[in-house]
Amino acid sequence: MPLDFAAVMQQITHMVTSLKSGRYERLEKINQSLQTLRQQSSQVDQLKKKIALSKTTWLVAEPVEKLDNVYPLPTSHADFYILATDGSHIDVDRHHSARCYLINISSVLLKYGEKPDAVITAEPRIYSDDADLSIPSPDGIREVPVEGNLLGAKRGVEECRKLAETAAKLPPASHSLALIDGTLIMWNLEGYQDFVSHLLLEEQYLVYLEKMRQLNQDRHLALASYISYPRSMDVINALRVALCPRDYVDSDKCAACKTRECYALSGIHDRELFANNLKPGERSAVFISPSRILARYGPHRVYFYYVNLENEIARVEVPMWVALDKDLIDLSHALIVDQCRRGQGYPVALSEAHEKAVVTGADRENFWQIIEASMVGEHLPTGDSAKSQSKRTRWI
Amino acid sequence: MENKIAEVIAAGSAEFTAECYELYNIPPLGSLVKTINEPVEIIGVVGQSMTSGFEPGRRPIARGKDEASEAAVYQTNPQLTKLLRSEFQVVVIGHKNGANLFQYLPPKPAHIHGFVLPCSSDEIQTFSRSFDFLNLLMHNEQIPPEELIAAALREMSRVQPDPSAFLIAAGKKLTGLMSGDYQKLKAVLGRLTL
Repeated sequence: MPLDFAAVMQQITHMVTSLKSGRYERLEKINQSLQTLRQQSSQVDQLKKKIALSKTTWLVAEPVEKLDNVYPLPTSHADFYILATDGSHIDVDRHHSARCYLINISSVLLKYGEKPDAVITAEPRIYSDDADLSIPSPDGIREVPVEGNLLGAKRGVEECRKLAETAAKLPPASHSLALIDGTLIMWNLEGYQDFVSHLLLEEQYLVYLEKMRQLNQDRHLALASYISYPRSMDVINALRVALCPRDYVDSDKCAACKTRECYALSGIHDRELFANNLKPGERSAVFISPSRILARYGPHRVYFYYVNLENEIARVEVPMWVALDKDLIDLSHALIVDQCRRGQGYPVALSEAHEKAVVTGADRENFWQIIEASMVGEHLPTGDSAKSQSKRTRWI
Repeated sequence: MENKIAEVIAAGSAEFTAECYELYNIPPLGSLVKTINEPVEIIGVVGQSMTSGFEPGRRPIARGKDEASEAAVYQTNPQLTKLLRSEFQVVVIGHKNGANLFQYLPPKPAHIHGFVLPCSSDEIQTFSRSFDFLNLLMHNEQIPPEELIAAALREMSRVQPDPSAFLIAAGKKLTGLMSGDYQKLKAVLGRLTL
């Protein structure tokens, strides 16, 4: 049955009117956030201490340098490489007879300069062994099935593994940027038991990040993740802490607060603040990301900056070893802007990695059909659940 | 097969489509190519060809506004050579089984993924000793027949010891075949200049 647009239309009109009336108030808040950024700019140590003492339910960025520092676009090298990976997966489907999942990892290697070249590949892999389908606890009593969010995290690990593998093939002395789509923060592991997150984070993900860091012994390799149209408010939240007249913020007591100075900035995104502080091509100061899981990242602790890409403000996350190395952070800045200029506003390598990795709805249907057909060929018992069949055959 | 240039991606009894290994490395219109479907060699004439994006949903966009040349566009966007593909259609005009050459359709079509190779000068000379293949070219539906026939004869004439004599002989044969359509015959003959 199609959507009842007559019923929806009235609500859309109401929503748009409300957005329009809130616009002036929003512009005021953005202006206020910019003023606060500049006022607090030189009081970084004081703000850091206050943030450390504060207890908030919202994520607060940790300042590293003057808050309103702006860096112009560095010049890029004549010859350089861009690497990117992306992935998609077909999740375990309990309505099908075979218990398995598929991860498709794409890899893009673009060479620019005197001898341009491109290598674009995809590596699909089916996981059906017991060892792949669940993660057992060390005592062997419990096991956590690899599906849903956990499969998403495993896919992120595989993307990173492929990126490190591709980076290892780069020639010595080369200048390169390795790009990941989205975030470097494996926040989706935060809700899992230690033995699960330890396996995927310490034993795999961070090992691959470390491999990329080590490659810098004989080449220049920056690693960054790219977030388009970011919704994060980490920097705004740091400014809200700064605006609070108390010695430190305690969220538990905020409900009783009468003055609510920090509300002057509530609901604003970091990108709106930096859209007014950065000119095209420029990047912001770096900040430290506050996610809890990052305490386990060691030298790969995630820093981030915002960059003005003419048609949007993007958030770029980099590990500490990139953030604190001027050559590498400049490399990431210059090459991300260059990629976006070549890619109509979005990094070419990420765009191609996505295109190569994507698994469509039709691919999913075919995947399960081929499995069923292969099982029938081997006289193995098959049979979808009644629910799966009812989804495929629609009737009145 | 070191000189393979393309691979069959769609095949029927009277024609097949091949994808080039190298972007834009399309054999000339009217040139003779072959693909092997053991023990038969299927021989055809290159007809319609095109270059487009790999995925139907992704259209190429204009990229050269700030570039000095077409080559610079590819230099700046190295991924393009991996996202575009050139393909061509081949009108089947005969086949070879061992030493026997036939200027009519083979019993079975080409295989998908069969390699496509340009015919050698010797092969073209041997094939063009007879003009029976012209009938098959006249009935192709992918490209105007007078264009394809003229292109094929021009290409074949290049490897003949006496190209002019070859074209005159071909013209005589066409006069008989196209006697009912003077305008088309005139169009073909007008295109048979070297």
